[in-house]
Amino acid sequence: MADQQKEPGILRELFNTFFAKHWPVWVGGVTLGLLNILLFTVKSPWGASGGINNWGENIFKLFGISAFENAAPTSTSLYGVLCLVLILGSFAGALFSKEFALRIPPKGELLKGFIGGALMAIGATLGLGCTIGSFFSGVPALSGGAIVFTIGLFAGTILALKYLLWEMEKWPGMSSGKSFTFLAAPEGKGNWQIWLGWIVSIGTFILAYKVAGTNGVLAWFIISGLLMGLICQRSRFCIVKAFRDPFMTGESDGSVGVMAGLLITLIGFTAIKFFGIGASEISIRAREMTWVFSQFWLRGLIGGFIFGLGMTVAGGCAVGTLWRVGEGQVKLWMAALGFLLISPISKLYIVPAIVNKLPHNMKFKNYLPDYFGYAGAVLIVLLIILVWYVFVKWNERTGKFSAF
Amino acid sequence: MEIKETLDCKGLSCPMPMMKLAKAIKGLNSGEVLEMLGTDPGTKSDLPKWCEKTGNTIVEEGEVESGVFRFLIQKK
Repeated sequence: MADQQKEPGILRELFNTFFAKHWPVWVGGVTLGLLNILLFTVKSPWGASGGINNWGENIFKLFGISAFENAAPTSTSLYGVLCLVLILGSFAGALFSKEFALRIPPKGELLKGFIGGALMAIGATLGLGCTIGSFFSGVPALSGGAIVFTIGLFAGTILALKYLLWEMEKWPGMSSGKSFTFLAAPEGKGNWQIWLGWIVSIGTFILAYKVAGTNGVLAWFIISGLLMGLICQRSRFCIVKAFRDPFMTGESDGSVGVMAGLLITLIGFTAIKFFGIGASEISIRAREMTWVFSQFWLRGLIGGFIFGLGMTVAGGCAVGTLWRVGEGQVKLWMAALGFLLISPISKLYIVPAIVNKLPHNMKFKNYLPDYFGYAGAVLIVLLIILVWYVFVKWNERTGKFSAF
Repeated sequence: MEIKETLDCKGLSCPMPMMKLAKAIKGLNSGEVLEMLGTDPGTKSDLPKWCEKTGNTIVEEGEVESGVFRFLIQKK
């Protein structure tokens, strides 16, 4: 009898399905891939660095810096809003599962967060994109530039991981020292987190409802962003992890989860581009070239490399940083700050100084189907994913490339 | 149960806790127990998966104060 009384109600059981424990990463990958396809159907694919850059420009504008007086207000920037609600979604996910807490790491970690964020900003502005725009969306968008960006990401990640391993041995003070945790929910208590989670979620839906009358696309981006943040937090979807863990502990779960998302997105994006879904007769070519940036090949390679260094030092890529901000990881608050402050500066001063020196054939828009046809381009991407899969699984068994 | 070493990962976020854990376990002898304290929610799913893969055993798991979890891990 006593046991029966403890059995949770039907709705509580449903709630627990989502928030009692973490989801497998592949569930996150697949659902994020589906939402990404829907974003593209409505307007354009998922991206993160552009939104963060928009925040930075608005902050400089607020301080009256004339170079940024024409920055689009964040409330009118689709991606600026998407990134903001993504944080809210992750905040809600963390609250529902009572995982929210302000976690302040030792000083050295805060510094690494800021430097990592600044490097990501330089990489994103130089290479035109981040792990989302030029990898998770860019590769399924059949962009050749996204593939070289990804190669750069890998190289940067491996090098920065070597640094982290070195730092742990020779400079342990960087990651140790005083740390603080506030607002955590003690076991069995802290129901205020769940209530606040409802307030945040319902508030965001009301916001979407309010803008839906005048700007349906923005409303859809708000709802999708909220869900994406929540999914990322619950599945701990992390592209740094996907690239780094095979070389660290040898784990492959993070990588396979990202691959699952890439596959789903590849199917959807290819259909949208092939049939010109969402395009009028005139702009089918524009639809095909969506998320294909002028980064092939050196521009994307250098940018990806710098971005890879930054995300590994920070412990989160552009979106990984955003959802960890929502969860209360203060190291990633510093990464977001470094990203948003350096991104507009890099775009204005660093990028022109470097990119203008590159010849056109090192920074053009490479659309794979132009060279290989749709079938060939999709096959190339599938082959890359297959090789990556075989590598991480083989490495997990043999530990050949793992540090531990 | 004798705790050989305590690893304080409070405040640290991914990947530092798992990196430090892998290194600390490497320095122990078979059968010795490591105590790990942390606050990163990611560790709570990463650690059991890693133990399953490496054959180390989680002998105890719990919360010591609000938001701070504690694992006792015995080396294989």
